[in-house]
Parts: sequence; C-alpha cells; structure tokens
Amino acid sequence: MTRDELQEKILTILVQDFEFKDPKLDDNLRDDHGFDSIDAIELLSKIEIIFGFSLTREEKEKAMEIRTITDILDYLEKIQQGRGK
Amino acid sequence: METGKADRLIDIGVTLICWCYFILAFLLFFSPFYLAAARNSSPEHRFQRLNRVFYGGFFALLRRITPRQQWSIDPEIAGIRSSVVVCNHVSYLDPILLISLLGRARTIVKPLFFSVPVFGWILRRSGYFPATSSGPLAGLMLMQMETMEQFLREGGNLFIFPQGTRSRDGSIGVLDEGAFKIARYCKAPVRVLCIRNTERLFTPGKFFFFTRRPNRISVRILDTILPGRGLSELKVRVRQVLEGCTREA
Repeated sequence: MTRDELQEKILTILVQDFEFKDPKLDDNLRDDHGFDSIDAIELLSKIEIIFGFSLTREEKEKAMEIRTITDILDYLEKIQQGRGK
Repeated sequence: METGKADRLIDIGVTLICWCYFILAFLLFFSPFYLAAARNSSPEHRFQRLNRVFYGGFFALLRRITPRQQWSIDPEIAGIRSSVVVCNHVSYLDPILLISLLGRARTIVKPLFFSVPVFGWILRRSGYFPATSSGPLAGLMLMQMETMEQFLREGGNLFIFPQGTRSRDGSIGVLDEGAFKIARYCKAPVRVLCIRNTERLFTPGKFFFFTRRPNRISVRILDTILPGRGLSELKVRVRQVLEGCTREA
C-alpha cells in the first residue's frame, strides 16, 4: 500500500470513527483531537484489519509514542517494510 | 463520659478494627489463598474473586460495627455482567465497595500504586491496569486492553470513575473519556451507578471513620446505555445522569 493510500485510509478512520474534525498531518493528536492511548489501541486493531496481519506487542508499544498523523504514516510504512523483507 | 468523647472513641475504635481487619485478615487468612491463586496459570479470575471476598468481609464487618449507618445496595448490581460501569466518586471506600459488589471486575488504578509492595503485586495479578501508556507500565496497560473485549464478552466488568479522583463537594467534575472509549471499542453497554454518602462515613482527608452521625449509604443503578452511540453523545448522557445523582444528594 502506498503512503497516499495509507493516508487516505487513516484520515477516513480518524474522521468517521474517532470524530476528528478537519485533521491536519502535523496536528498533535492528543492536544488537538483528544486522541489518547485507548484510541491508539483501537486504531491499531483497525490497522491490523487493513493490513491483514497482527502487530507484535513491541510494535504496539512503539505506537504509543506516536504524536502526529505523519508519525502514524511513518510507523505504518516501517511496519510494511519490515513485513515485506 | 461525655457523649461527644464517647463517640470520638467509637470512631477511633472502628478505624482500628478496620485496619486490623486489613492487616490481620490478609496476613493470617487470605495471603495463603492469594499465593495459591498466583500459581494458577490464569490467576486473574481467582484474584478478583479473592478481592471480592476480602472486601466483602470488610464491609460486612463495617456494617456490624457501625449501627448508625444504613446501607441500601441495589440487588441488581451483583447481576451486572459484560459492562463498563461508571460511577461518581466521593470516598476512598467507593472502589473497594464496587469490588465487593461486582463479580469479575477490572479497574483502572493510579500508576503510583503499582509500585507499592504486595499491594502492587495484587493489583497486577487482579488484572487491574494503570492509566498510562508510557514508561514501564505501558506493556501492562496494552496487555489488559488487548484482552478487554474478550474479558467483557465472557461476563467480566470494567469499572471506572470517570472523574478520576474523589470529588470534595460531590459535584461532577470533568469526565475523562477513557471509559466511554473502552465501551465503544468493546461494544459494551455502559452502566451508570450512583454512590451516595460514603464520604460521610469516611471523609476525604480524614484518617478516622465518622460513625456517630446517622447516615444512609446507597448504591444504585441510574441508567444503562447500550452501545452504538457516538463518544460525545455518550459523554453528555452520562454527565446528565451523574448530575442527577448529585442533585438528589
């Protein structure tokens, strides 16, 4: 999946499921949208469905450090690259 | 002896008896059961059952030695299953009261408590988890959240005080969205409970129980909100219901 495709999917999820209003790529997820660790866990479960594989505990713990949508996309690209090896 | 002085001595006596129960009943009676439960391959259920019996014993004792306190507990509370339970919070007694009333239950605990010897170990083994996603406890929080949907589906409950901390004046402060997010994520119903007057028996900031004043402690189910609502709507509804609890006080 390309970065643009990932971005489109993630933005759709954030707006539809997490009630984000007008999200920008470099918004602070917590401060600007109230996105916390519980949201992150829910988002990760949706990402697992998109990718069709389960994330490891280590990968999930790394996701807890994500602060922006750009970070999410970077994180997903790394995951994809790691699985593609 | 003056009535006031006698009442004061009764309060001191009740407090001492309660502390004796916590220390002696745990050390002499419950600790072997906790140690045995810890050896089980899935100790969480056993620890939760032990906690319920331990705190149930505490409240049975407290009721016996504080005759001026009347207790009114909605019998339907014991039958709550597979729900996210949210409740107002007015006294330290509230969480242990809910542990004694609900069946299998997880809850969110301040991260600080996990580092207390013995107590922190029991918290972990009981499936309770910290409200943090960073630092050494992040893994514990993740693990419990990963299994939360299944835990609730199998009849467990998660209880949370969305105010986070005890209210000093009984008013409903800012509600944390965590409970509602978990309910949404797990597609679980939200049960709204109202606890009243525990703060009159064990007042925030006081060391001794205050037993001399006639008091009626109650725990009631105020509302059940089925899954499917948006987060904002759920939060508004719970606030309205909890404010109703405050107005009755």
